[in-house]
Amino acid sequence: MIQHEMRTILHIDINHCYAQIEEMLTPPLRDVPMAVGGDESQRHGIILAKNMKAKPFKIVTGEPIRNALKKCPDLHIVQADMKKYTYYTSKVKEIYHEYSDRVEDFGLDEAWVDVTDSLRIYGSGMQIAQEIQRRVYHEYGLTVSIGVSFNKVFAKLGSDYKKPSGLTEITQENFKTFAWQLPVSYLLMVGHATTKKLHDLHIYTIGDLACASTTLLKQKFGKMGLLIWSYANGMEASEVTLETFTTPPKSIGNSWTTPKDITNANEARIVLERLSNSVACRLREKEFMAKVITLSVRDTNLHRFTHQRKIPVAIDTCSEILQIAMQLLAESYDFVLPIRSIGVHASQLTKTNMYYQLNFFEDTVAKAKNRKIEIVVEDIRKKYGFYSVNSASSLVDRAFSSVDPKGNHTIHPVGFLKGNS
Amino acid sequence: MQLFKKYIKVITMCDEHGALTPIYIIWNNGSKYKIDKILEVRKAASKVGGCGILYRCRIGKSERSIFYEINRWFIESTNP
Repeated sequence: MIQHEMRTILHIDINHCYAQIEEMLTPPLRDVPMAVGGDESQRHGIILAKNMKAKPFKIVTGEPIRNALKKCPDLHIVQADMKKYTYYTSKVKEIYHEYSDRVEDFGLDEAWVDVTDSLRIYGSGMQIAQEIQRRVYHEYGLTVSIGVSFNKVFAKLGSDYKKPSGLTEITQENFKTFAWQLPVSYLLMVGHATTKKLHDLHIYTIGDLACASTTLLKQKFGKMGLLIWSYANGMEASEVTLETFTTPPKSIGNSWTTPKDITNANEARIVLERLSNSVACRLREKEFMAKVITLSVRDTNLHRFTHQRKIPVAIDTCSEILQIAMQLLAESYDFVLPIRSIGVHASQLTKTNMYYQLNFFEDTVAKAKNRKIEIVVEDIRKKYGFYSVNSASSLVDRAFSSVDPKGNHTIHPVGFLKGNS
Repeated sequence: MQLFKKYIKVITMCDEHGALTPIYIIWNNGSKYKIDKILEVRKAASKVGGCGILYRCRIGKSERSIFYEINRWFIESTNP
């Protein structure tokens, strides 16, 4: 175990990542207010990133494109191209990998790099940070902000402190004078709701939090209270995971905002077939079976609810997942309002085990055959493309079947604790 | 001098290790120019947008920068 007092960790953040990649590819975009947005015709019309020129207009990431255009009518909207962003961010991360084998991704544009063992080769943490900053700029034309510190939380605090192209060091000597002055909301894991509750306790800065009573924090926030208190005191000691390490998934799911509203169960079935198929394929790929299936629905008023069912025998086939999803939908939704987006999630995952308790009341041979058919269909799709084999139901309304949820690149949100709190 | 990004055809040599060496560039109108010398090869961002592997070359008397971007070539051209 590496002593956390001696560690040197960098947190590197590609500044307004998607927007910057677009600017790098098309430099004139730097001179106009620009934002990267989803596809409005597919009703994914929200702002994903904005450039420096768009900042004075108070455009917020996540707001609908129409609202943003009201604030700034001249805003130039660039259609998001996730393939491009994944390619360039992975290239930038190749640079980080040259300095350490401990590189932990935190989303597409952020990463922690533990350079403790590389200091003797490349110089101090700040020198490595400067070199990475220079190389990313010269080789890929992108600016990154870097925080250098002795733990992951303060490294992230450092990289968020100054943007773009910031370089901030938080050491054991200066964290009390530097980090403790900053607002408590800057700390990782302290979101809007927690900030509000902390303000009620007259805790406004990270220093206030560090000096607060642990009894009070535990009483108000439970385990999380002690956790954020330890973060404020620089006691966070989790390791930057090795590059080969991947956290096993806790759930696998897909959801989709359809190009037009779903008005009845038949239309929902077409979409759920697509989503269940993607979930089933991903389960089988990772060799998992699921014991809980959850259906999530968002209606046209943007009201969202979920409904789930635990099943006695774990499953990994599309037909079974679809059957349960359809049951859940029939039980929980009456289509008073049309559905805007729908999702299927599988959780309580267990490793695929071909030996399981047989059920007297089901045709086990047919079940095994069906599973084989699904695997063959997936093989054909892998070889000849997703649309090479299709169920007849998908031809009823192509608006609902025009998606390959598995093949479409999906960016999965990452949690800092990864369920280990 | 203002430069423009122009995608071009390039005749390359691929060696047994997979390294690419551009030999000729072919302009849109079909004219072919021989690359006389490669002065420098490195990863770089271009002034005209995009990034990739930069090959700084001498073509006749002039010096030109051509980039291998993902899977195609572009030149920092003096003509639009």
